[in-house]
Amino acid sequence: MKPTVLPSNILKNRAVVLFIVCGFLLENGTEQEAFASEQLIYPVVNQNSPQKTISRNGISAIFKMRLRHWQDGSAITVFVLQDDDFLHKLFCKQVLNVFPHQMRRGWNKLVFSGTGQAPVLVKDKQEMIERLNSTPGGVGYLVEDDISDSISILEIQ
Amino acid sequence: MRHSTFIKIGLAFTFIQGSLYSATSSAAPEWLPKSVQIHGFASQGLITTTDNNFFGKTDDSVSFDFREIGLNGSWNALTDLQLAMQIVWRDAGKTDDGGVRIDYGLASYNLYSSESSVLTVRGGRVPTPLGFYNDTRDVATTRPSILLPQSIYFDVNRNLALSADGGYLYGEHQTDYGDISAHFGLIVPRMDDPDFKNVIVGSSPGEMEGDVSWVSRLGYEWQGGRVRLAATYADFNGDYKPDAGAFLEPGAWRFNPLILSAQYNGENWSLTAEYALRRAKLKNFGFPMIEFTGQSFYFQGTYELTESIEGIVRYDELVWDLDDKKGDDFADLTGKPGHSRFAQDWTVGLRYKILPSLMLSGEYHYINGTGWLSELENKDGTTQHWNMMLFMLSYSF
Repeated sequence: MKPTVLPSNILKNRAVVLFIVCGFLLENGTEQEAFASEQLIYPVVNQNSPQKTISRNGISAIFKMRLRHWQDGSAITVFVLQDDDFLHKLFCKQVLNVFPHQMRRGWNKLVFSGTGQAPVLVKDKQEMIERLNSTPGGVGYLVEDDISDSISILEIQ
Repeated sequence: MRHSTFIKIGLAFTFIQGSLYSATSSAAPEWLPKSVQIHGFASQGLITTTDNNFFGKTDDSVSFDFREIGLNGSWNALTDLQLAMQIVWRDAGKTDDGGVRIDYGLASYNLYSSESSVLTVRGGRVPTPLGFYNDTRDVATTRPSILLPQSIYFDVNRNLALSADGGYLYGEHQTDYGDISAHFGLIVPRMDDPDFKNVIVGSSPGEMEGDVSWVSRLGYEWQGGRVRLAATYADFNGDYKPDAGAFLEPGAWRFNPLILSAQYNGENWSLTAEYALRRAKLKNFGFPMIEFTGQSFYFQGTYELTESIEGIVRYDELVWDLDDKKGDDFADLTGKPGHSRFAQDWTVGLRYKILPSLMLSGEYHYINGTGWLSELENKDGTTQHWNMMLFMLSYSF
């Protein structure tokens, strides 16, 4: 018969290993979070956008790809960065109050059930700025320092 | 023949994908209108079992006979009018004959949309909203595991469940306490799964044809989906039209599933449970009416071990007839094994995101019962206790 109770030194060693593994897993992304906590991110639109304010439900409906037009009826084009881009994570967390994987699940559902479209993926914030400048009904997100004169904050009311 | 089709589709896929990414990061070639998007997926599975066959000859053997390839396009013809179509080529042993088919082809029009509400009408061949996973069940990345819990998402009846021709009304409303959604649709279900006709009328010549049916789903989401709840109820109808020489008379099949679904999503873990009560009725066919109620449920937990590796554990249980849980009466009556009337499946699995668009997954099933196995694939009998190992490489864009 094997003993059913493990000696305490083995248990202690296992606890230490578990602790180290947990610590390693938690380490992921702490640097980004340190940066993120100091920055404020805003939904932004083209300077000539027909609309400069929106409700909290409205901003969520736009990024969920459910609301397809501005109040004046013109089409909305949504720009986002990659799911693992820290600006994207920051926007999901700070403004939309969801995890990026929740947004991705929603978009996948729309795309693969034929009931909607995914937002336009841009490769970096430079392309985000260029696309917003060239797209009248465009909406995306940027941190305060990157918001130039040609781009306006879409104010959440 | 099958393989050459596979290669051709694969090549077409690579070409489209290559041209997409070399042009811009938006998902369609530049000569198309800006409101056109093209997406797709391709998965190849590898399956082996200790006993019984699942998607090919897997009993003490390895089957590659499970693949899913799809390409879809959508176009916002007007701001609130969208047209979309998905073509899928799928092979799954004898349960799917490997043909190319239109999974969906539909028009959606927003009758009304505001910052907090939307009311949409959809028509054509529309994905059927059943439980959490049915609408996108072919796309490996939208499934939590290689196989969906079979007690609710039977793969042997995939075409019947996936989509149907008809029209839907869809409404969604956001409140401070969460988002509420509702689907209601009138449809004619597809009855072209090879196993489906076999289960209902055996080898009796003739056709099963879909009849007018309806589906409804109510949904609730809190905080963008941190908590998700759904209730689905449907009334599926089909008729058997015998050919000359049939040993059965014309008959009607009616199926009423009620599915309750709940999910909690944390930052890197999630818990999901779904419960289904399934009432089935077979009327006429030259026999007294047959009626039984089955039950299905599963509990599932997933955990993100790292940003690219996710683990899953699930227990999934199916009972065909609540009045005959172990299938004893069924065995006495038909001479077929009682263990074909239930299934209990423990699953553990891992998935690794090699790239955002490329995923490798593996899972192990420890199963008691053969309730969701295909009869066509297991004509020489089945074993009650069996194990299954699957691997899948899947790509989507």
